[in-house]
Amino acid sequence: MPKMKSTMERREFLAGMALLMAVAPMAAHAKPAPSPYQPLLREVAQLVIPRSATPGAGEVGVGAFVLLALDHGLEGTRGFDHAAWLKTALGTGFLTQPLARRRSALAALDARAFAGDAAAKPWLAIKRLILLGYYTSETGGSKELQYVHVPGRYDPDLPLKPTDRAFSSDWTAVDFG
Amino acid sequence: MDFDAIVVGSGITGGWAAKELTEAGLKVLMIERGREIRHQQDYTTEMKMPWDMPFRGHGDSDLFDRDYAVQRLNRHFTEFTQPHFVNDAQNPYQTGPDTRFTWFRSYQLGGRSLTWGRQTYRWSDYDFAANARDGQGTDWPIRYADIAPWYDKVESFIGVSGAKEGLKQLPDGQFQPPMALNVVETHVRAEIAKRWPERCLTVGRTANMTEGKPEEGRAPCQNRSICARGCSYGAYFSTQSSTLPAAMKTGNLTVITDAVVEALDYDPATRRVTGVRYIDTKTRTRKTARARMVFLNAGSFNSVHILLNSAPGGLANSSGVLGTHIMDHATTLSAAALMPGFEHHTTFGNRPTGIVIPRYCNMDQMDGIGHARGFSFQGGALQSTWTQGNRMAGIGAEYKEKLRHPGPWRMVLVGFSDCVPRATNRLTLDPVKTDAHGLPQLRVDFAFGKEEHAALAQAKAEAAEMLIAAGGKVLMGFDQPGPAGTAIHEMGGARMGHDPKTSVLNKWSQSHDIANLFVTDGAQMSSSACQNPSLTYMALTARAAHAAVGMLREGRI
Ligand SMILES: Cc1cc2nc3c(=O)[nH]c(=O)nc-3n(C[C@H](O)[C@H](O)[C@H](O)COP(=O)(O)OP(=O)(O)OC[C@H]3O[C@@H](n4cnc5c(N)ncnc54)[C@H](O)[C@@H]3O)c2cc1C
Ligand code: SF4
Repeated sequence: MPKMKSTMERREFLAGMALLMAVAPMAAHAKPAPSPYQPLLREVAQLVIPRSATPGAGEVGVGAFVLLALDHGLEGTRGFDHAAWLKTALGTGFLTQPLARRRSALAALDARAFAGDAAAKPWLAIKRLILLGYYTSETGGSKELQYVHVPGRYDPDLPLKPTDRAFSSDWTAVDFG
Repeated sequence: MDFDAIVVGSGITGGWAAKELTEAGLKVLMIERGREIRHQQDYTTEMKMPWDMPFRGHGDSDLFDRDYAVQRLNRHFTEFTQPHFVNDAQNPYQTGPDTRFTWFRSYQLGGRSLTWGRQTYRWSDYDFAANARDGQGTDWPIRYADIAPWYDKVESFIGVSGAKEGLKQLPDGQFQPPMALNVVETHVRAEIAKRWPERCLTVGRTANMTEGKPEEGRAPCQNRSICARGCSYGAYFSTQSSTLPAAMKTGNLTVITDAVVEALDYDPATRRVTGVRYIDTKTRTRKTARARMVFLNAGSFNSVHILLNSAPGGLANSSGVLGTHIMDHATTLSAAALMPGFEHHTTFGNRPTGIVIPRYCNMDQMDGIGHARGFSFQGGALQSTWTQGNRMAGIGAEYKEKLRHPGPWRMVLVGFSDCVPRATNRLTLDPVKTDAHGLPQLRVDFAFGKEEHAALAQAKAEAAEMLIAAGGKVLMGFDQPGPAGTAIHEMGGARMGHDPKTSVLNKWSQSHDIANLFVTDGAQMSSSACQNPSLTYMALTARAAHAAVGMLREGRI
C-alpha cells in the first residue's frame, strides 16, 4: 500500500477503500422460493412494526426475509412449518379482516405466547425473525435506529435524552442486551 | 529447499517465531495449512452492513449446521466472521465418550490472530509457581523474572492498551493509554473497591491500539468492535497487521500456504529433525522441506498432533507425557444484572474490550472454597438495543417506539477458572478415523474436575455479591462450566519441565529429546492460570527464538 504521511491521510485512504469495497459486487442475495405465505408474513411484520416516521417492517421486505429465514432454519425453526402454523393460528380469513381486527388477533396471539402458552410458542421465533429482519434492514437499522460503521471514538458517559435513538451498530448490545 | 528454520503455522505464535528468527538473520520458511489472506485486501466482510449480507449477519443456519456445527457454538462466529473460521465438516476430530470439547479453530494465514478476542494479560509468579505449590502437574522451569523482559518486548511491539493497577497477580506492562470504563463500570469499580479493597475492576487490557504506529502502517482503533472480520486500520494485533510485515521486511521469509504439515522428519543417527513433510492441498501432492531447526506453532492441539503422527508413540516423547495434561479454562456466565440508576446516561462508539476483575483469591492466603487456584472475571456494562424486543410482549406503534431508544443498563461478569493439569485429559490419534488427507484424526478426552466446579461456584456467589453491592438486580448466574474448549484457551500436551522423564520441553521451549525442535505455542504450557494465555505464548516464543538463534550460532544445534 502507498506510504502515508499522517494518520488523517491514512484514514481518508481507508475510507475511500471502504467505499470501493461497499460498491464491489456481492454474491447474489439468497432468495427464498416463492411462497404462498408472502402476503400473510408481510402483513404480520407490518403489524408488529408499523409505519411511524419511518416505514414499517412489511414495507421494507421483512415478510420475504422471514420466509427466507424459515427456509434456512434460523432461530431454531428447522423441522416445523412456522408459516403454515401462523396461518392456522390467525385463521383463514385473517387478511380480509379490518385492520383493527387483524391487530387485535395478532396482539392476542403475542400475549398468549409471552404468557407461556405452549400452543402459541412458535410465534416467539417468528417475532424474533421479524425484529431481526427489520432492525438489520437499511431502514430499520439506519433510519429508525442509528448505524455508525466507523465511530472513530468511544465516549464512556453522555447524557441520554428521551428522544435519542438507539444504535443498531452497537454489537455488544445486540449480542447481550 | 533448505532453510535455517521452518516455522509451522502462521497464527499468533508462528508470526512471532518468524519475525524473531528472520530479524536475527535466519532464512525461514513458514508453512501454513490454510489459504492466504492478505492484509486489507482480503477482509471481505469488513465494510459490509448487515443489510449487505444474505442472512443479515446472522448467517444461514442450515449451512452452519452442516459445515460449521462446532464453530457456530462460539459467539464470535457470525455470517461476517465465518470466512475466518474452520469448516468443521472438512476438518473433523473425535472426542471420548464422556467428553464434550468444542474446538474453535481458524485455519488460514494469520490463524486465530485474526479472530482472537485480543485480551492480553501477564501471568505472575502465583501462576508459574502454582504446580509447585499445590503439587498438581509438574513445576514450571521458569518464573516471572525469566519472562518479564519478553513480555515488555511483545507488548511494545503488538500495541496493548491498558491501565496500570500495581497488582501482584496481574503485573502491569508496557501499555498504551487505556480505553475508558463506561459510566456504569466506573461506578461498579468504586463500589467494589469500597467493600473489597483487594478486588480491582479495571478496563480489559487489549491488543487494540489507542495510539497508532504510522511507521508500521497501523492506525489507532476506531471503536467499531468488529475486529474478527479483519481490520484494515491494522489497529489490533494480528499476524497480518504486525509480525508478518516485520518478517517480510527482512527479506528472509518464505511463506507457503495451503500446505498441511503431516509429520516431522527425524534422523535417529543425529537425533535431530531434518525438516517437515507436508501435503500441498492445491495439487494434493506430498512434499518435503528441510531446515536446521523446526519451530512448531500450529496451535497447541495441532502441534501435538504433528508430533504424535511423526513416529509410533509420538516423536520427542521419551517421557511418555506427550498429549497429556491438556487444559482449557472453565468458564461460565457467573452473573448478569440490571443496573438501575443510569437511565439518563449513554455511550457512543463500540469499545472493543470489556472489563476484567483479576484473581483475588488463593494468593498469599489459601482462601478458595474447595479449590487451590484462581478465577477471574471478564465482562462489562452495556445498554440494550433492539434485541431486547425478543423478550418483550407487544406489537405495534408503542412497541416500535420502545425499541427506538436504548434500553436498560445491564452488567455481566463471566468467570474464568484455572484448570488443573491432569494426565487423564489428553490427546491421542484416533486408531481408525482419518481426515480428507488420510491423516489420523485427533481425539480429545477431557473432563473438568472438582476444583474447576468449586471455583465457578465461588465465582457465581461472589459475582452476584459484587453486582448487588453496586446496586444491581441479579437476573441470572451459572456455576456449571460450558463444554471444555469454550474459553478457546486450549493448551498443554507438550509441557515444559525440569525433568526429561516427566516433561516434553525444557525451559527454552526446546524438546528434551531433540535439540533442534522447539514447540512454542500453547502446547508447552504446564499450568493454565486463569488469564488469557496468548501474550504468554508470544513472550515464550520470542524468548525461545532468541535462545535458539544463540544455540545455532554456537553450533550447539
Ligand atoms: C474467538 C476467539 C477469541 C479469543 N480470545 C482470546 C483473547 O482474548 N486472549 C487470548 O489470549 N487468546 C484468545 N483466543 C485464543 C488465541 O486465539 C490462541 O491462544 C492463539 O491464537 C494461539 O496461537 P497459536 O499460534 O498457537 O495458534 P493459532 O493462532 O491458532 O495459529 C495456528 C496456525 O497453524 C496452522 N496449522 C495448524 N495445523 C497445521 C499443520 N498441520 N500444518 C500447517 N499449518 C497448520 C493453522 O491453520 C493456524 O494458522 C481466542 C480465540 C478465539 C478463536
Ligand atoms: S474496533 Fe478497532 S481494532 Fe477492531 S476492527 Fe475496529 S478499528 Fe479495528
